[in-house]
Amino acid sequence: MCSVSTPTDPHSTIPDRLASAGGLKKGVARGLSRDTGLHEADIYGVGSFYHLLARPEKRVRVCGGLSCQLAGSREILSACQAAGLPTEEISCLAACDRPPAVLRDRRTLPMVTIQDAERSGGKVEDLCSNGSESVWCGTIGPQDAAAETLCLNLSAEPDWSGSAFKAAGTMGSSALFDLIEESGLQGRGGAGFPAHIKWRAVADQAEQERYIVLNADEGEPGTFKDREILLRRPDLVLEGLAIAAAATGSSEVYLYLRGEFEVPGGVLAEAIQATTKAGRFPGITFHMHAGQGAYICGEETAMLEALEGKRGMPRLKPPFPVEVGLWGKPTLIHNVETIACIPGIVLQGGTWFKDLGRTEAGSKLYCISGHVQNPGTYELPLGVSLDELVAAAGGYVGTLKAFSPGGASSGFLPASERGRALDFKGLGAIGSMLGSAGVVVLNDTINMRWAAEEQLRFFEEESCGQCAPCRIGTHYLHAAVKRGEEKSLGLTHVADVAWQMNEGSICGLGQAAALPLTSALKYFPEDFA
Amino acid sequence: MSAMKQTLVLDGRKIELQQGDTILDAASRTNTSIPTLCHDPRLKPVGACRTCLIEVEGSRRLLPACATPATEGMVIHTKNERVDRHRRTLLGLYLTDHNPDRHYGLGGAPNQLVAMAHEVGAPTDWGQLPSKRKASSEDDNPYILFDPEQCIACARCTRYCDEVESVSAITLAGRGSETTISTNDGLSLLDTTCEMCGGCIDTCPTGAMTERKAAEMQAPPERDLKQVRSTCNFCGVGCQLDLHVDEAANDGRGRIIKVTSPPVGTTTNDGNLCVKGRFAYDFVDHNERLTTPLVRDKAGVLQPATWEEALAATSLGLAGVSERHGKNSLAFVSSSRCTVEENYLVQKLARQGYGTNNVHQCAAT
Repeated sequence: MCSVSTPTDPHSTIPDRLASAGGLKKGVARGLSRDTGLHEADIYGVGSFYHLLARPEKRVRVCGGLSCQLAGSREILSACQAAGLPTEEISCLAACDRPPAVLRDRRTLPMVTIQDAERSGGKVEDLCSNGSESVWCGTIGPQDAAAETLCLNLSAEPDWSGSAFKAAGTMGSSALFDLIEESGLQGRGGAGFPAHIKWRAVADQAEQERYIVLNADEGEPGTFKDREILLRRPDLVLEGLAIAAAATGSSEVYLYLRGEFEVPGGVLAEAIQATTKAGRFPGITFHMHAGQGAYICGEETAMLEALEGKRGMPRLKPPFPVEVGLWGKPTLIHNVETIACIPGIVLQGGTWFKDLGRTEAGSKLYCISGHVQNPGTYELPLGVSLDELVAAAGGYVGTLKAFSPGGASSGFLPASERGRALDFKGLGAIGSMLGSAGVVVLNDTINMRWAAEEQLRFFEEESCGQCAPCRIGTHYLHAAVKRGEEKSLGLTHVADVAWQMNEGSICGLGQAAALPLTSALKYFPEDFA
Repeated sequence: MSAMKQTLVLDGRKIELQQGDTILDAASRTNTSIPTLCHDPRLKPVGACRTCLIEVEGSRRLLPACATPATEGMVIHTKNERVDRHRRTLLGLYLTDHNPDRHYGLGGAPNQLVAMAHEVGAPTDWGQLPSKRKASSEDDNPYILFDPEQCIACARCTRYCDEVESVSAITLAGRGSETTISTNDGLSLLDTTCEMCGGCIDTCPTGAMTERKAAEMQAPPERDLKQVRSTCNFCGVGCQLDLHVDEAANDGRGRIIKVTSPPVGTTTNDGNLCVKGRFAYDFVDHNERLTTPLVRDKAGVLQPATWEEALAATSLGLAGVSERHGKNSLAFVSSSRCTVEENYLVQKLARQGYGTNNVHQCAAT
């Protein structure tokens, strides 16, 4: 792959150029090849990987996530097609709290109705949500929470004083790392890895050129907390990044936002502009980069590949990004929520943060959607139970049957686990995970075979295709669980396939992708009878 | 400098390491067999096919032997219950996406995947998935055929095209179960930078990339053909060729079905060939091929002659021209098929024999 291999403005990478050219239409790759000197086949290979580039004619994309399907997204899909809109289904749009969501070009429209589709008259530009174009935020809570119990406090006004950045500078790197260790901060993108280890590892590298990367490619089905942070508290994100950069000896910060985040991206871009103009974080440069549609790019090494302008296929680990990251340099990568916790920890202390949690450190943003009264983003002590979370969200709709505690990758749990602490360790111990804390609640109207099939469809579509266990395994499991097709394969070999995917896959996608099916089979065998 | 040799333990045996060894390198040197599909020593390892995963003590996950550096003190297991189960289930899964009865590619090359699956006792009863890989329908090139059903998306062909040939005419395209091999816009290879070297065929482990001529002939598989080692005579490099000959064809005179390169690391061409060496062999059986010298008779009609007669006629003709029009009325051009020694002789013939410096070699332009 003959790609850009030196640090350049990511806006000149192939995915960006393809986006500017309106996607991968015939002849576009050859034209870009002439402009850049890169091989046309490589450009085509990159474009064909990202769904927002690969099918440019599909300008309307209806979310196929579970929560959107519960809200009737398939009917919206049909209505859009019937209205003559160039429509296809798309993986979760991170709008599970305002379903069903539709992506119009790069703009996510919430709560789209059949009437909206009909009103468009088949004109893409005229497709709106309730006739409105307004920037929307989701529900946040809990409303009665005291500010001192919240690290992120989404309802507060942004704080542009830069006081945390200054305090961290006064403290010095070593004391800051100790503070983060004391806080017990774990990565909130899914893995729950202790943050301080990564910070120290990057700071300790002999190589002096280092990068900070913000993972804002929020794509785990059921998850939308990062969208809320970006919309409401970009101050915390930028200040956290600046603190990380200063403490680890880097000056370049790359922010990778999923391509569907046009509105949050706009808010962030404005904040960066204002911050830069005001000189809030001297010596630190922020580079925004829009993804082009690929769930796998939320995997940290796939994201690095995407930032370098390539197909987003995860790298082999080790080496880990703290040693060999972006353009081969030591790189600190954090999820939006993790980095947004940093200013609070710096200003209020490690112990304060740690004590905000119940079973593990800190307060945590839980996304809740599906069969609950008030879907939204709730900041609660890390380790609350499902019942407590749902109580904050106004209660269940119907009778609880199953829930997915941390996105599609966490599989399903039965109602009997409703009292279990939703934390990294406890959920890991029962073969699930907290992941991104995208909690999806399903009531007893749901057939779990259907739910598993939908999650497997997602994984098959979003597998990068690089390694066989994931590429073939997701295809196999999806076909095996699919009604009408199950006869040829059956469910007999699911356990062996799942074992292989977990053991053999390169990255977390393939390692976890069988969980929705294996957990549904384990807890709800009657739905497969 | 410490002279202490670094060692590791492989399946209970202590072995010495060499600088830059991967686990696969170290294992190969001690004749420990680790299966691979996406590995080609000419290419950078990518660890994508997952067949070479082995267990290293202290590592939670199985590691790809092809891409993992061998380091001092490692304790490695290439065969144990976990690794064996991994190989069986992985290859069993491959077979669901791949016809398990296809022991050969369309062009007759052995399918290493199927052979390996049978060798490890991979399950064959997991059912069959419809292949979602597609090939371009526009590709009308005469030499290279891509059979997407037989492809395992290991990307050896695309990496070869990039890393060895620096051509990058093909790429991995699409995503997930639809991942396939494609040119830009699915164009015919003829409309790309492809040089038709056929290296993609050479490196393909399953016969998905194959010789179109052999496939269209529906010739017997490689196993049933006679293999004849030869030297390519299209230029002076001296690449070694393996001619695959169907001895029964042409009423027993035999027919070349295809040409391959000897394996990587065995001959100077290291598994590589160019379009001429690999595909330009039709002249061998061509009905217009000259098999004896021809000399024009007085009526100007070409007649078969012996080499002695032909060389005498040539010598006489050249001497006559030189005499009538001067030495520099002659010029000598040698063929790009000549070796360096033959080229030397041509210039000697021109300079010493005929007294002219008008000498050229056709590949020098």
